[in-house]
Amino acid sequence: MKLKMIKGINKNTIVSLLSIILGLLAGAVLMLITGSNPIDGYTYLFRGGFMNIERFGNTLATATPLIFTGLSVAFAFKTGLFNIGAAGQMLFGGFCATAVGLSLTWPKPLLLMAMVLSAILGGALWALIPGLLKARFNVHEVVSTIMMNWISYWVVYYAVPAYLKGSFLETESRRLPHSASLRVDWLTNLFNGSYINLGIFLAIAAALIIAFILNRTVLGYELKAVGFNRHAAEYAGINVNKSIILSMMIAGALAGLGGAALYTGNAFNIQIGVLPSQGFDGIAVSLLASNSPIGVLGAAIFFGLLYSGRGFMNAMTKIPPEIADTIIATIIYFAATNVLIEGFVDRIRRKKRGV
Amino acid sequence: MEYVVEMLNIRKEFPGIVANDDITLNLKKGEILALLGENGAGKSTLMGILFGMNQPDSGSIRINGSEVQISNPNAANDLGIGMVHQHFKLVHNFTITENIILGIEPKAWLTIDIKAASKRIRELSELYGLNVDPDAKIEDVSVGMQQRVEILKMLYRNAEILIMDEPTAVLTPQEISELANIMKRLVSEGKSIILITHKLKEIKAVADRCTVIRRGKLIGTVDVATTSQEEMAEMMVGRQVSFKVDKEQQEAGEVVLKLEDISVLNSRKVMGLKNFSLEVRAGEIVGIAGVEGNGQTELVEAITGLRKAEAGRIFLKGKDITELPIRSRIRHGMAHIPEDRHKRGLVLDYTLEENMVLELYDCPPFSKNGLLNKADIRSYAEEIMKHFDVRSGQGAISVARSLSGGNQQKAIVGRELEQNPELLIAVQPTRGLDVGSIEYIHKRLVEQRSKGKAILLVSLELSEIFNLSDRIAIVSNGELVGVVDADKTSENEVGLMMTGIKRGERLEAQNDQRHK
Amino acid sequence: MGKKLVSLALAVMMVLLALVGCSKPSTGPDGEGSADLKVGMVTDAGTIDDKSFNQGTWEGVLKAGDNLKLSTQYLKPAGTTEGDYLKEIANLYDAGFKFIVTPGYKFETAIFQAQDRYTDAKFVLIDGSPHAGDYNVVVKENTVSIFFAEHESGFLAGLATALQLKEGEVGFIGGMEIPAVQKFNWGFQQGIDYANENYDTNIKMDKENFVYQGSFDNVAAGQQLAAKMYDKGVNAIFAAAGGVGVGVINEAKTRVKAGEEVWVVGVDVDQYSEGIYEGNKSIILTSAMKEIGTAAYDMIKAEKDGKFPGGEILTFDAKNNGVGIPAENPNLSADVTNKVAEVFKKLQSGEVKVSDEQGELIK
Repeated sequence: MKLKMIKGINKNTIVSLLSIILGLLAGAVLMLITGSNPIDGYTYLFRGGFMNIERFGNTLATATPLIFTGLSVAFAFKTGLFNIGAAGQMLFGGFCATAVGLSLTWPKPLLLMAMVLSAILGGALWALIPGLLKARFNVHEVVSTIMMNWISYWVVYYAVPAYLKGSFLETESRRLPHSASLRVDWLTNLFNGSYINLGIFLAIAAALIIAFILNRTVLGYELKAVGFNRHAAEYAGINVNKSIILSMMIAGALAGLGGAALYTGNAFNIQIGVLPSQGFDGIAVSLLASNSPIGVLGAAIFFGLLYSGRGFMNAMTKIPPEIADTIIATIIYFAATNVLIEGFVDRIRRKKRGV
Repeated sequence: MEYVVEMLNIRKEFPGIVANDDITLNLKKGEILALLGENGAGKSTLMGILFGMNQPDSGSIRINGSEVQISNPNAANDLGIGMVHQHFKLVHNFTITENIILGIEPKAWLTIDIKAASKRIRELSELYGLNVDPDAKIEDVSVGMQQRVEILKMLYRNAEILIMDEPTAVLTPQEISELANIMKRLVSEGKSIILITHKLKEIKAVADRCTVIRRGKLIGTVDVATTSQEEMAEMMVGRQVSFKVDKEQQEAGEVVLKLEDISVLNSRKVMGLKNFSLEVRAGEIVGIAGVEGNGQTELVEAITGLRKAEAGRIFLKGKDITELPIRSRIRHGMAHIPEDRHKRGLVLDYTLEENMVLELYDCPPFSKNGLLNKADIRSYAEEIMKHFDVRSGQGAISVARSLSGGNQQKAIVGRELEQNPELLIAVQPTRGLDVGSIEYIHKRLVEQRSKGKAILLVSLELSEIFNLSDRIAIVSNGELVGVVDADKTSENEVGLMMTGIKRGERLEAQNDQRHK
Repeated sequence: MGKKLVSLALAVMMVLLALVGCSKPSTGPDGEGSADLKVGMVTDAGTIDDKSFNQGTWEGVLKAGDNLKLSTQYLKPAGTTEGDYLKEIANLYDAGFKFIVTPGYKFETAIFQAQDRYTDAKFVLIDGSPHAGDYNVVVKENTVSIFFAEHESGFLAGLATALQLKEGEVGFIGGMEIPAVQKFNWGFQQGIDYANENYDTNIKMDKENFVYQGSFDNVAAGQQLAAKMYDKGVNAIFAAAGGVGVGVINEAKTRVKAGEEVWVVGVDVDQYSEGIYEGNKSIILTSAMKEIGTAAYDMIKAEKDGKFPGGEILTFDAKNNGVGIPAENPNLSADVTNKVAEVFKKLQSGEVKVSDEQGELIK
């Protein structure tokens, strides 16, 4: 029985690895078409992400918000919900954390806790509304979370210049003081000046906690049951509406944490007029990870590598940045289409058996 | 003798299970061959192989004498093989014509030549007596008509060999007899049919020969005319099967379930159940007889808490449970075998063990402080599987979806009975099951009765109601027509009452009630 | 069965990783020193062909690359946070680009850090000056900070507009309310006033027609705002608003094709070609230019000549030909061009002064 389980895990892993390889191959074709050497390109891409400790730190830091949004989407998926609103939840969670960080002058540990908590609450609040709408009126969460994205966008657009404005920059908030930043000196020094920050530890902890909740707890059992089969859950006496709302809130809280990691860890302030792309990349991360929380860690770091290595590839080759973006997008696209790859793997297996 | 289909020494293995083990099946031109077997015996796998959905591990297939490779359903279509699935694959807001031509639309320049298609469908319909209106929309026609559309789809694609997968499972008795006529018409026009079923009565009615498989192995092929139902049942199950359930006479005890004038809205927001009153006592089985959609669903959902009662009260062992949530009703000793095992009964993507604690996961020993205790869950599930003979590929960790229908149902029945409920609501507990499983489940229900538990049985099969019930309550159009003692009535009388006719007998029946 | 696929997958991964591992880790790709100077640029928000800041800077870099035989490369950051910028600066630096040009005030904090971290590299920060987020400006020896006198540029464009139109009404659409945009606006108003007072033109300005859209990328909003203003009778709109300005230009083109006579005054670079609606005819009356490309070119050239003005904050204004309107303005009469040239000289000599503060002006 053990053997079989390992085999089952392997299949997802194979599919994900194949997806990545296919993506890299597709990217290689693009590089060839634009007259660059793919081997050089990928060499520089990977070196850009890993060649020294600072870059390794940056790769992890780039991956941090993606871990959170990936977890957010994966958790929602597992409980039968499609959270497209991670971007908005993230933005609002990040806004809350920034607001707390700029408003309070507590000692750093206390302040960071307050900021993280407010990011959790902010993200959860932003997802609560689609959750309520779904539970109460059966409004599809895809629609309502997308709309919440824009509400978040405009709330932040208004609130940052109105309340957190710097001395003259209109497009971003005041800069967070060091005591309100997730960056800590020992980590920065350890990684030789990288902008890696405490967010990565929060992200790893979140992945472990989410995996634990989903697989080991009564709560996870209920939420997944509702996700897989709402009717059966109702039949068994599980409070379906409560579960939907709770799932959305947990997903939102995760995305909100991603906002804290992005705006108060990777950056020093929050910007207006931008929906963080990490919110949408979270969907791809989750797909590549087959919605497994631990898989999300790996997938997010892979994406982080692509994003952080891309610039070096760019600088070292004559691949124009736009093509580099296309290559990265292609890799992500292939990586995220594991459903197709899965069918392909199944077919190969069948063929082999048929012979 | 010339065979149109020869499947020779077919073997097919799935993880943990040999679905087909050296099975040989031959179909003659112009005959109806029944393929009989219990749920999970391997019928669907075998036919899936013939239709190109699965590839056999070994063995060969010949069509009209020449060996073929059927790699996908399209290849099967090209060979003149068509399949009518149990679950129809139709687009509901398309017309019948549009559904039939889907995928092979006749083109006139850039547009679809609907008229030509519609004309041809009309001709085919007349030739085979299908009585189909090509311009009607699927959503407006009956289930029986939808099935005929599926048949027409095959005929339109010039299928010579038709595979019909449990075609009667979804039909009313009238529709079943119509289907039988259609099938006879088809073979008289030269088509050949393989009928997958586990209903012996139907085999007797239409089939020429019958191939029986059991647990993936071929048992034999018999001539239907000269073989009795009992003999076929024994071939299928592997032992003698009794169609009659033995149950001892016993006095009913205290009232367990009491319904007082309950009224319930149906999903279209009109009263689906009106002023309904009924009592179910300890140690008795009360059957609810009625034509589908006459308030049974509303009744069951109101008792179990899935639906709100607009008026009236519901008592469980004297306690008013009208306002209680579902979970508390379960904790007060109510169990429910739901009508639709896929919709309500199981979380198909959960493992069997996870499904076995669907109502109990938050109780000790299955969880403590919010954490699941997987070891206890597994041993509990394995116990249920043993007690109720649930077979699966990978034991307790099999995904529920991978189980055959019969085993899924046995698992649900096991889960509900293992809670030792005071009141069991059993809705269509044997729907779609083979005789072996039916017999088994019936036995367990009667056993429950003998232990002094109350059972409310809802079934569309009158024979099941009569086999099990002590008393029968008849519903029609959301109202209680009457309650009769099972041994003082006949199927005929109950059948009439199901149509809503209240006759003299009804008065007698009620008098009997009062004497009790 | 699964094993085969796993091994296949692993094999491919191994090859890829091996390739990465094999390549020499540390040494920079090329030699150093100004002998073979490599010039890099990091773009701000928006694309390299934004017909504005990024493009202007890049053209200067490219020109330097051609004239001085240097290799050039630009990188586009994934976002607009300090981290994103620093990452691309590091990429350029690690790839041997030791002369880095960054357009836009958003780079201020990133350059503040970079100038300390990469002491052997040179930085040119256009439209900003390095600080730690507290506006305490520190320009290190390896950095030059460049500002433009936008108010003078706006003044000349306003003057040209008024002279050409003679009478009518003008409006202003800005992007975000940041100093550079504000100074364009204030200068533009002073230019109009100057013409009204000294050249007897009659151009009206209404408070309601001077607005900041709030972003640099909302094309649709720009179009709507422009439509509203043109409907109210405005003849020319000064659009200092990036992508928002594109919307303004689009609206003007539509109206001109429909027979109306409306104009747009461009910004940052000569936007004449942006406004072409038919043949060679453009709705761009003139443009308030900042010689971004010249600035970038000059700095690169200075480095090449060993005269890099490190540690300085330079202002490009009329005096050093750092601002102005395009030399060729097909939509301006020769008379107007001459008059503007006269005033331009007075600006250079200091005879005419343009304020870079709001004072009594609109917003």
